[in-house]
Amino acid sequence: MALPVALTEDQIYHRCPLDMLDFETTEALENLELPFGQDRMLRALEFGASMQASGFNLFVLGPSGAGKHELVKRFLDTHAAGKAVPSDWCHVFNFQQSDKPEAITLRPGEGRVFKSDMSDLASELKTAIPATFESEEYQARIQELQEEMTRRQQKGLFVIQEEARANNIAMLTTPGGFTFAPMRNGEVIEPEEYKTFSAEEKELVEAKVEDLQKKLQQAIQQVPRLRKEVRERIHELNEEMVQLTLGGPIGELREKWSHVPAVVAYLDAVREDVVEHAEAFQDNENGAPAGLLNRYRVNLLVDNAETRGAPVIYEDLPNHQHLTGQIEHRAHQGNLYTDFTLIRAGSLHRANGGYLILDARRILTQPMAWESLKRILFSNEIRIESLERLYGLATTVSLQPEPIPLNVKVVLLGDRTLYYLLSHYDPDFLDLFKVEADFEDDLERDDDSYLLYARMIATMARSAGVKALDRAAVARLIEHASRLASDQQKLTAHDRVLKDLLSEADHWADQAGSDLIEVGHIQQAIDEREYRASRIRERSMEQIRRGVMMIATEGEQTGQVNGLSVLQIGATRFGQPTRITATARPGKGQVVDIEREAKLGGPIHSKAVMILSRFLANRYAPMGELSLSASLAFEQSYGGVEGDSASVAETCVLLSAITGVPLKQSLAVTGSMNQHGEVQAVGGVNEKIEGFFDVCKQAGGVSGQGALLPASNVEHLMLRKEVCDAVSDGRFVIYPLTHIDQAIELMTGMEAGKPDADGQFPENSFNRRVADRLEEFAKIGRKKESEQENANGGRYGDNADNS
Amino acid sequence: MVTTPITAEGLPSVKSSGRVLILLDGSRTSLAALEAAAEIALARNAEVLGVFVEEVNLLRSAGYGFASEVGGSSGLLRPLEVEVLEARMRALAEQARRALEQVMLRRGVAQALRLCRGRVAEEVLGLIGPDDLVVMGRVGWSAIPGCRLGSTAGVLIHQAPGDVLLWSTSPPLARNRVVVLLNHDQGANHRAVRVGAELARRHQQPLTVLIRAEALEDQQVVEDVRAYLKAEGISARVRLLAMTGVASVVRAMAEEGAAQLVVSRKFSLFGGQGADILLTELNLPVTVTA
Repeated sequence: MALPVALTEDQIYHRCPLDMLDFETTEALENLELPFGQDRMLRALEFGASMQASGFNLFVLGPSGAGKHELVKRFLDTHAAGKAVPSDWCHVFNFQQSDKPEAITLRPGEGRVFKSDMSDLASELKTAIPATFESEEYQARIQELQEEMTRRQQKGLFVIQEEARANNIAMLTTPGGFTFAPMRNGEVIEPEEYKTFSAEEKELVEAKVEDLQKKLQQAIQQVPRLRKEVRERIHELNEEMVQLTLGGPIGELREKWSHVPAVVAYLDAVREDVVEHAEAFQDNENGAPAGLLNRYRVNLLVDNAETRGAPVIYEDLPNHQHLTGQIEHRAHQGNLYTDFTLIRAGSLHRANGGYLILDARRILTQPMAWESLKRILFSNEIRIESLERLYGLATTVSLQPEPIPLNVKVVLLGDRTLYYLLSHYDPDFLDLFKVEADFEDDLERDDDSYLLYARMIATMARSAGVKALDRAAVARLIEHASRLASDQQKLTAHDRVLKDLLSEADHWADQAGSDLIEVGHIQQAIDEREYRASRIRERSMEQIRRGVMMIATEGEQTGQVNGLSVLQIGATRFGQPTRITATARPGKGQVVDIEREAKLGGPIHSKAVMILSRFLANRYAPMGELSLSASLAFEQSYGGVEGDSASVAETCVLLSAITGVPLKQSLAVTGSMNQHGEVQAVGGVNEKIEGFFDVCKQAGGVSGQGALLPASNVEHLMLRKEVCDAVSDGRFVIYPLTHIDQAIELMTGMEAGKPDADGQFPENSFNRRVADRLEEFAKIGRKKESEQENANGGRYGDNADNS
Repeated sequence: MVTTPITAEGLPSVKSSGRVLILLDGSRTSLAALEAAAEIALARNAEVLGVFVEEVNLLRSAGYGFASEVGGSSGLLRPLEVEVLEARMRALAEQARRALEQVMLRRGVAQALRLCRGRVAEEVLGLIGPDDLVVMGRVGWSAIPGCRLGSTAGVLIHQAPGDVLLWSTSPPLARNRVVVLLNHDQGANHRAVRVGAELARRHQQPLTVLIRAEALEDQQVVEDVRAYLKAEGISARVRLLAMTGVASVVRAMAEEGAAQLVVSRKFSLFGGQGADILLTELNLPVTVTA
């Protein structure tokens, strides 16, 4: 097999061609309105934002820090600008059911006018109605009524009094009422004298007294009826006066608001109510009670007077109350009370007719918020209910405002995990969030994208308020974006990392007194970031330098190879070599993965070892028995091993152990392998190679070391300058592998050898040695087996005898 | 007859030798009047004599076997017995005594209570002298509903030798003037004007003098009254009132915003039924001067 050619500097680092950047500084670049390379997501947004059918709410999924919120907000702002401004909403008092305030919808901007009209009306009522009651006309009419009543009352009594007097009977007042007694010359006759009266006289007197008593009784019992009648007539009079007073102002308002039937109906209800409570306005001391006047106020729940286009609302604390609105209470002398003016709108009210942006994780962490949002989206109406009522904790009487019809597009922002978890576990989720807008993590890097990316950087720089970048700095940032994407053909779309980097570079430019961010500042920002996060990496390097962790970077060694691994802690990743060792002896075709046995290996690693062992068996003992007992271990690894990226290294070290052929320690290996020995791509190649490079560097300088990696990983290489320079100088070599035989040849210096038609490997080839050695193992194995069988046979015989 | 002129210093000008008589019968109106009497006595440095009369006619009427009481509000009939009535009268007298003591003690006014049996008006007339001020409610207990002037008040305003104050609770509207009603021929330095001025001073209320006269010929009276009041250092509004009936007087009072009225019993409209009608129409404290 032909040996692979070592990679050149150009292959391991994709430079940004400066001639692609046709500007001096980013100052000359226009802002990028919408991001490029996010077509799928933008089309989803466009579709979701325009789709009217219910349930087509959006879930924008992407990694955190990708700039989802900003992008969605910007997109929706633009999209919403061309849409109609939604209606205003008011709550007004419900005169039929006071605990159920009515909702009235008005054209945008009319809410304020209506509120002000009603406020003016209330002020007018406050003065006009008492004025009516104080008017001469009213007073005169009231007096007439009262006098009439008095007259009618007195009339009956005076008639009786007169009748009594005419019959010489006195009508006297007692502390509790009236009594009658015979009199003479204005004085009551002494009872003793009365006894001297003749029987006829007495009979006459007593009959008359009885008659008068009855009449008086009737007259007195008429009084309550008379009073009631007068009360009714006063009430009628009040109504009449108030109707006349209100006729003007309410008539004007009715005409003004004739285009809104709900307002007209409300105004009629107000008039009825004022008439009904006319007496309450008569209080001259304090005027009409505030509570009464408050009922004519308007609670302007949603005011869209200043809104341009459809509203785009972001709720940063999406709890139940903030979403659905709430009914507040006022404390007054130790009591809590509320009325319809204390109903507060939620973000759903404000976003009604437009868009509501919410953070999925936040809404899910707020009690009941997610359930409330779903319920509202299903019912298409906003019903304000307090959390304690939803939980059934409060049974006090409270308001139940009329629900407000909802037409809102909810845009949830969240990471992919959350989206897939919700899709899986919440049966309502996909009914309500039918549009997924998936954020690209990476953007294509081609000739067209350079300038767009540069404009994106320029936009970012402007929005972050940092200095402009010169061309070289932009180029360096683009190259770094490829490194962040771990791909020569891609650029990261991760907004936050780039922004942070820009801000840091701006800081270093400031420190350096530069007006522009130059390439050096970008590099400094990258280096400083790396340095800040390098504590653990350096501790690990120190362990290697001091020999605590054993890694050889020169010489040859049997059954020992440098594998490459990547460690991720928080947001930092770094690579480092790991010694992998193997042992081999005759046995029953088993390769022991010590990591797995010790429960330190993950399932993917186990799978890779199994593939490896089947590869061995298939290749070197296709027709016979693989008599091998081998073991593999990651030395000095105590934290667990996962992944299949060490398969190539493991194969090499195992074959070395079987054949006794030593492996070059100056080369580190990474790559996964299939059952046919083909080398497959792995992740983290940049970190792995740089990690080994650093170890070589500290072990006495880089000279002749190198790394082997899958050829399909070459386009992922964006190695740092130091490595590139070493590759350029020939001090460090990187070989791309397509097959395990290439690794064998590079690691051993021997020809691997291809099997001929009979499946025999050529003489003196490495593979021949493997096959021969395994054959030897097989022979030994067979011999051992036959010896054991013999021994077992004797024992069985003995056992049989014993039994 | 009181002769002390009203002084600018605002000291009580009516001689304190006169007593303040308060008619008590245990009714709500009499208790309200009691408070007013106490204030007046305090201002005038006078002693208060409470008068409680057991109406002899009433006691007699209870002596009849057939006597019954018709409830003033309910109209229910129940027998009236002497013992019960007397007990009730005693209780009322006791209540009046306690109320009198309580009210006067609070203000440090000297007081005495006179209990007597007879006819109320006669008993009171027998007790009072020309310097005494009689304070009383307009009606007693259980008068005919809506009735604004009881029989005793009717007798006393015409016959009492001194002034009589018919107390009633203040009118509800924001009225605050003391109004004096005068005939054109009663002269400027009339007792009613002086009493009115004193009331205005005491209550810190503006004063109006309404002179009932033919419009032009009696302009002189107006000037006289103005001159008199000016000399006395009293600022007041003086108006002529046309020689019309009670109704126009009542309207004029309303226009002035009268809170209290002072009128001489010799006022031209006071003859015959005039006083009754006038007082019935005006629901405010009225002082009828001798």
